[in-house]
Amino acid sequence: MDYAKNMMDKLSIEQAKIELLNTAYANDRTAIARLDPRTLFLWYAFFGIAPWFIHNTIILAGLLAFTVTTTIMTKVSRLILLILILGLLGQGGYLLIASLFFGGDLAVLQPLLLLTVKLAVISLASITVFCSMSPEKLSIGLLSIGVPGQVSFSISYGYRMLPVLLEEYNHVFMCYRLRGKAPEKKGLLYWRMAAYFVKLSVISFYPLLLSTAKRARTTVEALETKGSKNAFTNPAVKKLKLSSLRMGGQDYFFLAISFTFITALFLLGHYY
Amino acid sequence: MNNVIDVQNVTFTYPGETRPSLRNMSFSVQKGEFLAVIGGNGSGKSTLCKLFNGLIPHYYTGDFEGSVIVNGLQAADSSVADLSSHVGYVYQDFENQLVQARVLEDAAFAPLHFGFPDYEERARQALSLVELDQCEDEFIWQLSGGQKHLLALAGCLSLQPDILVLDEPIAQLDPHHARKMYKILETLNKQHGKTIIVIEHHTEFIADYCSSVLLVDEGKAVWKKPVKEALTAVDELTKRGIYPPQVTQAARELGLGGMLPVTLEEADEYFKALFLEKRAPLENKPNEIEGEPAARFENAEFFYKTINRTVTPVLKDITVTFYKGEKVALVGNNGAGKSTLLRLLTGFRKPAGGSVSVLGQTTAGLTPEQLADKVTYIYQNPEQMFIEDSVRKDVEFFLKARRIKDFESRVDRILEQFHLTDLQHKDSRLMSGGQQRRASLAIGAAMNPAIILLDEPTANLDIATRKQLTGFIDQLKEHTELVMIATHDMQLVSEWATRVIVMHEGGIIYDGSKEELFSNMFLMKKAGLVPPQIVELSHRLGLFPAAYSIDSFINLYREAESWITQKI
Repeated sequence: MDYAKNMMDKLSIEQAKIELLNTAYANDRTAIARLDPRTLFLWYAFFGIAPWFIHNTIILAGLLAFTVTTTIMTKVSRLILLILILGLLGQGGYLLIASLFFGGDLAVLQPLLLLTVKLAVISLASITVFCSMSPEKLSIGLLSIGVPGQVSFSISYGYRMLPVLLEEYNHVFMCYRLRGKAPEKKGLLYWRMAAYFVKLSVISFYPLLLSTAKRARTTVEALETKGSKNAFTNPAVKKLKLSSLRMGGQDYFFLAISFTFITALFLLGHYY
Repeated sequence: MNNVIDVQNVTFTYPGETRPSLRNMSFSVQKGEFLAVIGGNGSGKSTLCKLFNGLIPHYYTGDFEGSVIVNGLQAADSSVADLSSHVGYVYQDFENQLVQARVLEDAAFAPLHFGFPDYEERARQALSLVELDQCEDEFIWQLSGGQKHLLALAGCLSLQPDILVLDEPIAQLDPHHARKMYKILETLNKQHGKTIIVIEHHTEFIADYCSSVLLVDEGKAVWKKPVKEALTAVDELTKRGIYPPQVTQAARELGLGGMLPVTLEEADEYFKALFLEKRAPLENKPNEIEGEPAARFENAEFFYKTINRTVTPVLKDITVTFYKGEKVALVGNNGAGKSTLLRLLTGFRKPAGGSVSVLGQTTAGLTPEQLADKVTYIYQNPEQMFIEDSVRKDVEFFLKARRIKDFESRVDRILEQFHLTDLQHKDSRLMSGGQQRRASLAIGAAMNPAIILLDEPTANLDIATRKQLTGFIDQLKEHTELVMIATHDMQLVSEWATRVIVMHEGGIIYDGSKEELFSNMFLMKKAGLVPPQIVELSHRLGLFPAAYSIDSFINLYREAESWITQKI
């Protein structure tokens, strides 16, 4: 139980908030993060889609190796990686068990592995791209490829609000605990405690909505005074925002490396 | 005409309300004025300030009558966006006004979105005006409360408005940071020619920095006067729940006549003549209570993690024992660790090192629910206490969860006690600041705790609510074994506490009586504390030990007077 308690302490809402903020904002000083969003979109257009159409094991393995490298370069949070690995294992494991149960044999292992590798490449590519771009950069990037200002603004604002929401949720949850009463008997396998916590975590959303509605009111007013509505219709604002983007040497270098690697990989896969 | 703001016959009723919040309000503000708006809780001050940048009537679509002219623009006919280049508005809940993740981005947001090509330069300029230029790259979550407030101000300044409106700019600041805030406003007013309007409860700051005062009561403008004239109208102010500066109150109480002083400098002159005889009258020091311990910290430590996964210590090696029957004030800068220390007692947080025990049990083995039977923590922001949709339900929550018999009558009594009976079915979030504070105290009272912890209970309170608060604490005395208050309010400390703990950078740098603390100027300075005005005045007049309340000052004065008459 002590171990479980220790884990619970580590997986607190506070910790989740830090990891989230970290993933969203704090990785913007790595080499990949310095690239232009358009470079990353272009790169992602290949790595996010191509694996579905490739069945060659060597090429897939090569792509996996490449995305693993880029993921390491983005210094992504370990929690995100843990979730990813659990997800992949869970998915693969569940399919394996299902196929064995319905009369399959270990021959399913090979195609299953292939699928898992494909999924891993795509997921790692997504992590590389989206963890490297701060929400602000992402929204400017989206603006540059023609996505309307309202959408790109919502993304950057949504990220800004997330930690606030989490913190508020944490507060409400603790408020219930600081005034409430936990079941006296813990129950078999702590089920009473578990039920109590599940109940709290659900009812905490209600006050959260009420209090955030009020906070959001101030923010909406402030946004109005800061001209955000004006910005959607004013082309000068878009121009100003996009002027901060520039494709530089490092962008071409990154694309060239990726292109060379992929070409070499395809040649290798083709001949062996 | 030099009027930058002209309000004529404005009446406004919020949608869904029957009583107007502003009634036939008329006044004007001249260019370069530094105006303080004062009035009791719920008198319509905040509503008034929403007129200047057109939030009323554009965002609050209630019944609006009359005219508001700002820099020659009719507010009702101009958009909020147009007006915001003339008027910058810093909210009371300024944190929700910050919309970007990093400091520079946030300051640049407005000029960027209005399409100014030099937006970055404007943002940098604004940041340097509020002295935040060192933190350009920081995340807003990592700023202190005071810095966030300054950033919200910079966000307005970047549009270079002529008029700034601030709703209670120092409510959550320690005295040191509060003074810094006002110094910055003073520079903006004097050197940059901005017209500044503040809603302010702290009359001592008004005396030092503002040029005129507008008194608001029940939605009406009672009068607008130059600062000196306004603050010496003692009766009119106290009637409406506002404290004049302590020196003014003392002079008035003594009934010496002449022009009452409003600032420390004036008071120095005013009283000097009579305190020429400098003596040290003996005063009883309160006995040190050393009874049964109620709470104990042993080498307690606490850290928190930042976004960059670095660890910041909040509490360092705290060892201290609090005894039953004590009234402890916890003072120190913003960020010195006061709130964290209190929260360790609730089980909301567990110490990272060392131990914390409450009434003989260590908190490590207790859940917050178990501790809730003994300890109540009243949040700094009352809104964080509200988990139900009406005042009554919130007060009931603890009792209902514990299936206490006859809880209804108890709740009725508590609601009565805090003047909440009429409001009991209202959503607490929609009440005014003072009403919310009362509701949060009522929630605490219903829990009938052995230890009660209050975090900044007097922030944003008018005189009436403040009196209720002290009354509430006194009523609890029979059942409560320990009361601890974390506060910046030195007046509260000097009138109430029996023991003062000064915290600085996560450690305790002083633990003792308030008299000794207030006479140790070096320590006060180090911890960023400013003594109550009356204490400072006694220092200037060379009184030792210093008077720490208006009453004791008056006693000292009368004593000095009798000495002089005896000599004659």
